[in-house]
Amino acid sequence: MATSMRGLTQYISDLRACRVRELEEKRVNREMAHIRQKFKDGNLDGYQKKKYLSKVVFTYILGYKVDVGHMEAVNLISSNKYSEKQIGYLAVTLLMHENSDIVRLVINSIRKDLEDNNEIFNCLALHAIANLGGMEMAEALADSVLSTSTTFVKKKAALTLLRLYRKHPSVLPIEEWAERIVPMIAELDQGVAMTVTTLITAMAQDHLELFAGCYQKAVDRLDKIVFDSETPATYVYYKVPNPWLQIKLLRLLQYYPPPDNPEVVEMVNGVLQAIIDMSQETPKNVQHNNAQNSVLFEAINLAIHLDPESKVVSNASVLLGRFILARETNVRYLGLDVMAHLAACSTSLEPVKRHQDTIILSLKDRDISVRRRALDLLYSMCDTTNSKVIVGELLRYLQVADYNLREEMVLKIAILTERFATDYEWYIDTILTLISTAGDHVGAEVWYRVVQLVTNNEDLQSYASSAVYRHLQKPQCHENMVKVGGYILGEFGHLIANESGCSPIEQFHALHSKINICTAPTRALLLTTYIKWVNLFPEIKEHLINIFRRYTHVLDAELQQRACEYLALASRDDNEELLQAVCDEMPVFSERESALVSRLHSRGDKAQDKRTWVIGQSSDNKDRVAERFKSFRKSTVDSANSGGGSSGSPAPPPKQLSMLSAPSPVQDAARSGSLIEEEPMMGTSSSAMSDDIMSSLAGLDLSTPSAPTGGERLLPDSTLSAEPDSITSPIVARPDDFQHNANLGGVNPSLLAPLTVAPNIEKWIERLSYANEGVLYEDKQVQIGINAEYHGSRGRIALFIGNKIATPFSSISMKIENSDPEALDVKFHDEPVTGIAGLQQVQEMIQVECKSPFTEPPVLRFTYLAGAFTTLVLRLPIFLSRFIEGVQLDQGAFFERWKIIGGPPREAQQIFPIKLTATGDVNLEHNSKVLAGHRLSVLGNVDPNPTNHVVAGVLHMTNTGKVGILGRVEPNKDAKLCRLTIRSTNDAVSAEMLKLLAKPINADTALSQ
Amino acid sequence: MIKFILVQNRQGKTRLSKWYAPYEDDEKVRLRGEVHRLIAPRDQKYQSNFVEFRNDKIVYRRYAGLFFCVCVDSNDNELAYLEAIHLFVEVLDAFFQNVCELDLVFSFYKVYAILDEVFLAGEIEETSKTVVLERLDYLEKLE
Repeated sequence: MATSMRGLTQYISDLRACRVRELEEKRVNREMAHIRQKFKDGNLDGYQKKKYLSKVVFTYILGYKVDVGHMEAVNLISSNKYSEKQIGYLAVTLLMHENSDIVRLVINSIRKDLEDNNEIFNCLALHAIANLGGMEMAEALADSVLSTSTTFVKKKAALTLLRLYRKHPSVLPIEEWAERIVPMIAELDQGVAMTVTTLITAMAQDHLELFAGCYQKAVDRLDKIVFDSETPATYVYYKVPNPWLQIKLLRLLQYYPPPDNPEVVEMVNGVLQAIIDMSQETPKNVQHNNAQNSVLFEAINLAIHLDPESKVVSNASVLLGRFILARETNVRYLGLDVMAHLAACSTSLEPVKRHQDTIILSLKDRDISVRRRALDLLYSMCDTTNSKVIVGELLRYLQVADYNLREEMVLKIAILTERFATDYEWYIDTILTLISTAGDHVGAEVWYRVVQLVTNNEDLQSYASSAVYRHLQKPQCHENMVKVGGYILGEFGHLIANESGCSPIEQFHALHSKINICTAPTRALLLTTYIKWVNLFPEIKEHLINIFRRYTHVLDAELQQRACEYLALASRDDNEELLQAVCDEMPVFSERESALVSRLHSRGDKAQDKRTWVIGQSSDNKDRVAERFKSFRKSTVDSANSGGGSSGSPAPPPKQLSMLSAPSPVQDAARSGSLIEEEPMMGTSSSAMSDDIMSSLAGLDLSTPSAPTGGERLLPDSTLSAEPDSITSPIVARPDDFQHNANLGGVNPSLLAPLTVAPNIEKWIERLSYANEGVLYEDKQVQIGINAEYHGSRGRIALFIGNKIATPFSSISMKIENSDPEALDVKFHDEPVTGIAGLQQVQEMIQVECKSPFTEPPVLRFTYLAGAFTTLVLRLPIFLSRFIEGVQLDQGAFFERWKIIGGPPREAQQIFPIKLTATGDVNLEHNSKVLAGHRLSVLGNVDPNPTNHVVAGVLHMTNTGKVGILGRVEPNKDAKLCRLTIRSTNDAVSAEMLKLLAKPINADTALSQ
Repeated sequence: MIKFILVQNRQGKTRLSKWYAPYEDDEKVRLRGEVHRLIAPRDQKYQSNFVEFRNDKIVYRRYAGLFFCVCVDSNDNELAYLEAIHLFVEVLDAFFQNVCELDLVFSFYKVYAILDEVFLAGEIEETSKTVVLERLDYLEKLE
């Protein structure tokens, strides 16, 4: 291998010594110019070429674009020295892409090296192909993998073939090879055996029949590894015989249906049981433990695949129960994952349901990876007996869940609610709660689905109408709820019109009061509702016609057209029949697979090796299995299928029709709200109705799952609804009396304490005003950290409270004081803890919602007893700017809006001194960090002066609505002053934003610079 | 299969990157940044070594100041890759005799050669430390 090249070492040292990026760039440019010159002059010997090329490669690795050396790399490959060849190949594989043209130039050199007698050269060539891969190489390679070359070449060739197969499956003569490759599973060399197994696993997925012989071979090999300890010492990894080979073999078997031959079954079960038996003890060594578990989990997966009801699996599920309670996070994660596999394939969910409380608790695990697994498992293990508990927990958790988890959660909750509804009321109540609480995370499919189900089930219609009407009467209501309300009341509002408080005019007011918060597509939908009401409720026709008339003047073409058409239709006095015909009830939707399920299944479909199971229930998996083994022996397909026939699940086995999943562009458009055509125009007379939308609306009938027939479904929930929270927050007797006695006046002193003062508090809070995470407070005993996430007008703040001493904190009390509850809603998600053990950390979740502009951040009063009572009174870093989302505008758009808003009072401006950097420049980095940290988009290309910043954003508030904010920061280096101007459509917001933005930039007040 | 392997330090500087799936150069820059931001803040003690990333998952482990990350398919065996990382680190450690971050910088071309002996085409190639080290010794002696 190339030993030290002094020039290279020097070059790397030089670059490392560069303190600033500019200096580094200078050095790189100088070196590249030098090398270009050297290459141009020619006459370089091998060593020099190698050295310069290494420098080029290093430069490329650092992230610079390089344009020299391609030809020299090609030259170096044909050198006879290994060290030169290696650098040549390295440069080719790094600098070139599999599609770049220069790759053609090296094909001949690679072919030559492949055919060379030197196996080292063979290996280098194989590496290159494995990295660059090319169709033309396939034939040349076939021989070297199968010929009697050395084991080194064999194992590299097997993986190189795998790469070629994955890229171009059609060019390889699989049929000819199959019978020659399969026996190599038994190859003595474990490296060869493993790589060949990898290759076969990939090919067998597409050619089950062709590679069928590998099943017995793989079982034999496993048997030898597990029982005959055939593994040589060099392949034993921390006392575990080659775990990677075992895993590959166990995985390969999962791609085949369970064998028919009872002897083979027995042999496999013997191996699996032995692996489980060997894993009863937890080794102390981390590597040993991991290696053992890696094999164990794969073995359990295979056992579940073979027969989820077998004895092996029931033995394994005992282990799994232990794993999900384990201390190591990795083990909990994997335990939940495999349990989800079990729940997804097994016909009886009882073994999993035993652990329900633990699993629900795992939703609160500190690791998002574990939380995801818990969510998947809860989704898989849900049935009619526990659906109310699980869905209830998920709904509760949704309030504080990570934002990137919410959309998936909403989908899952919606599916479970529909699938395991035991009564109509519950279904409607739950799904409406979901739509109202999850807000923006509710994809269009979710509410389409509600409409389908209500339309198709007469029994639901009247209850759904009154339920949705109740939701609409609330002061706040998400747009999605307005959509559902508009559709359902338009179709079925007349069913409740005779009930008190639900008269047509009241329905109209409830719905129409929301129209101002809605985007154009929803308004269009509401217009359609109104034309339906013209037909159903002639008594309010005048009101409706007025609305139509008003909308004939709106700018939006679609709305205007609708309004005109509907106005004409409503004003035709002569012919009632036409209106009736047009506004006839919607026909029942044809029965199809739920778009929700297919949407969910389309996730994570891109893995190289196919998934052997999907998250979900046995019914979801059975068809998948059948599909995978379709081409395989008929008899096995039947036996694979018959196992789960008696599933307790009341849902009809869903068919996987991926084309039904709602197209994602529609989704995105709906979110950005920029397109008008994307929403289903519900009205029968709408010109914009398209077939696509209708097909995504098509759906299932709820009558099967909802009709309460079996006694099992109506089981009382009392046994299941035990409040799991009681486990996490043990009730510690609080010495409240003591606390009160300590103060003679009988007033809790902690409630009177002023804001805590300490050296860094101001700095910390200032930094948190423009950052999502950081320290809020720290002293010798306690540390409080913040990690916040905001989304529109809502946010969640995780408060990490760490006890830094060995003495436990007890009698903890935490209260949030909020001076303006009308404008800001702040609350703990759960009852806060009352104690923290020594050297431990707890996490508390706070939910916030911004309703209208506010100025005072809420205050946290935190009292704990550790020897003596200590009270901390801290401002929480919840500022108005946290509820902003940035907006990109170009120069024209920015100044247009800037002018429209105009000067005071909607403009707020301040001039203040600034601190310059050491080099006497404006601290641009800090400014842009502050601005972006306040969640505003910093716009380039608006202000020609590079030291100025221009920003834009939209503030989200649930009551006041959205407020656009524009700002300009104009520092003057010479005067050491800065002018900050904020313009927004709300003067209170302008003033507050000015205050917030100025503080960290103003030299007199800034603490965090 | 492995989509890519990244070794980054705590500041997010990438010390080794190997791509087994075709990514454009600017996509690679994005991925490096995203992976660092995803992995670096995770808790060593209370969080697992696995985290979902786009449609795949990342299996990672921290050794002193370096994060070794492998991005694998969502259905791959997590622990197998976690221990493969460890195996790779043990090989590096034996080869460089107490490997440190600077070894990866100055001898980057050797690190790539070592990588090709342990992983190939996005799969694990050799699982015996002895076999790999003997091979590397042999290669070192070649001119």
